[in-house]
Amino acid sequence: MKYIAEVDGLDFPVEILDDHHVRFGEEILEVDLSAVNGQPLYSLIVNKESFEGYVYPDEGGWQVLLLGRSYSVNIEDEREKRLKSSETGSVLADHEFTLRAPMPGLAIAIPVSDGQRVEKGQILAILESMKMQNELRSPFAGTVVRLRIRAGESVQQKQILLSIMPSNLSAPLNKYSKEFSQEIK
Amino acid sequence: MFKKILIANRGEIAVRILRACRELGIKTIAVYSEADRQALHVRLADEAYLLGPSPARESYLRGDRIIDIARKSGADAVHPGYGFLAERADFAANCVDAGLVFIGPKASSIAAMGDKAVARTTVARAGVTIVPGTEGEGPLRDDELLAIAPKIGFPLLIKATSGGGGKGMRDVHNIEEMPELLRSARREAESSFGDENVYLEKMVDGARHIEFQIMADQFGNVIHLGERECSIQRRHQKLVEESPSPFLVDDESLRKHMGDVAVQAARAVDYANAGTIEFLIDKDRNFYFLEMNTRLQVEHPVTEAVTGMDIVAEQIRVAFGLPLSRKQASIMCRGAAIECRINAEDPYNDFMPSTGRITLTQPPTGPGVRIDTGIYAGFEISPYYDPLITKMIVWGETRSQAIVRMRRALEEYKIVGIRTNIPFHQTMMDTYPFISGKYDTRFVEEQFSMIDAAENRELYLDIAALMATLVAHGQIEHRSQVYRRISNDSNWKWIDRFGKRNR
Repeated sequence: MKYIAEVDGLDFPVEILDDHHVRFGEEILEVDLSAVNGQPLYSLIVNKESFEGYVYPDEGGWQVLLLGRSYSVNIEDEREKRLKSSETGSVLADHEFTLRAPMPGLAIAIPVSDGQRVEKGQILAILESMKMQNELRSPFAGTVVRLRIRAGESVQQKQILLSIMPSNLSAPLNKYSKEFSQEIK
Repeated sequence: MFKKILIANRGEIAVRILRACRELGIKTIAVYSEADRQALHVRLADEAYLLGPSPARESYLRGDRIIDIARKSGADAVHPGYGFLAERADFAANCVDAGLVFIGPKASSIAAMGDKAVARTTVARAGVTIVPGTEGEGPLRDDELLAIAPKIGFPLLIKATSGGGGKGMRDVHNIEEMPELLRSARREAESSFGDENVYLEKMVDGARHIEFQIMADQFGNVIHLGERECSIQRRHQKLVEESPSPFLVDDESLRKHMGDVAVQAARAVDYANAGTIEFLIDKDRNFYFLEMNTRLQVEHPVTEAVTGMDIVAEQIRVAFGLPLSRKQASIMCRGAAIECRINAEDPYNDFMPSTGRITLTQPPTGPGVRIDTGIYAGFEISPYYDPLITKMIVWGETRSQAIVRMRRALEEYKIVGIRTNIPFHQTMMDTYPFISGKYDTRFVEEQFSMIDAAENRELYLDIAALMATLVAHGQIEHRSQVYRRISNDSNWKWIDRFGKRNR
């Protein structure tokens, strides 16, 4: 099986030869990977060098925490890589932004109502988790639709709280979600 | 000595207090909320009583129920730990009225220091310099605060009158943003302390936060156990503490002066038991009284490591009525100690709280390492309480040995199931400002970044790539094995053949 692992914009071709050998670029490496107690904590011995790190699935890729540093790794097999490169363009949002709870907690205040016009940066909800209050703000100007939370209710992580219909329908969605995550303080 | 002590707290501090009791031969009573049935403090205690539902206001903040349990269970004394009821003068008074010893200062001292605005006036009257602000003005309305703000000058801080732990605190850089910040500070203060009053304080430029540990008995003896440097903070929450402070290390006369002032401030409120006097100190070595914490501090183990004193045991002894076990002259600080607060927060996701079940924990041991914690594999981290789950304290003969030891221990500490800020601490221990001891309270928020600071670390891109690929490959293999098993063993093929035959 051949894979391409991309870390920080660098591609590393990895071919799995058997349970204990991989071709890593030009080199053949002896590898031994073992999950500690079945957890996403891995002990890896590479040509007798020992490493330990966490490997978590992360937005379609993987996050590796290794020696005090975080690495984002995207892995594709060769066929997927080919498929991906033939895809075109970026996805444009033609619709709304959904506000999800970034953590479990309690809704302290919901200072907006259904159908209300909001400005970019306006507070949509205040969630309290682990004794800290977090203000969730609107990523852009728009209208509150489908409000599904009331003050005093507790929420689960990723629970949908409300949606914002943007005033400008043609802005790209991924830009919105990026700004949103930065604005959680 | 006391026969039985009720510990009115949870988590690592409840376990810490329980350990002191056990070493003194005192029976322990734990109280717990529904979420904490399996908590370590409950498992380790001699007796355990359910307080109520998980939210703190229905459990750990129910002073009436706690006093009731203490009475029924025959406790002699109540130890409040930190947070929750620790700085509530009414709770301390109610304990005493119920015939229980409150392990802490007198209710009147808590009241005098608990209202931060009153505390500032009291201490200023005793001749201690304070940070300029709205001390002694009483509770002020928004319009009054907005009028005073320009006179104090920006940047300034909004602080909760009953505050602590950074709650209800906001940085203000100009008058325009102040009304909204006042609103959110009041809201957070109201929900954290049941008191929405705030006051203003000038922000001291390039300030360091240095505090002195006080210990006092009921005979008027007051000593200090040296200082702790607590300038590594984020959103006014301390993250790293150390003793001695690198700022005072070559300035014995300043240290002595600050220590004397701390003792004087404690005497001003007729203090007994353990307490902490917090100071801000500017670049020019002017220092100002900030506030007094009338309780045991989270970071007390740092002082324990350098002085050798068991502060919790000493608290219990002086509360029982014994004199202090040491005089000021016999307090010697040896070596250097650092504490890292390990929080259930993801430093790679804007320090978002992380909850869930701990599936694996492997704490470091070895020379000079101490872990104070309430977690274990199988314990669930709920969203109801503080994110602090573990404290790691290291001691070294020198500060540099302590840093190296902390790095070693941080890498050894494995916690799976939730995200922790261990990578933050690993990064911090590698930054030049920390290593050189040249940092102030703004360092984390204004100069520190996980990414920039990590630039200096050795890169293991190849190992990361290999590790992730092997994990991904293992999952793909596992999945295809499951498919194979299903297609081999499934009874569907028989049904299928049966279907074909009957068609």
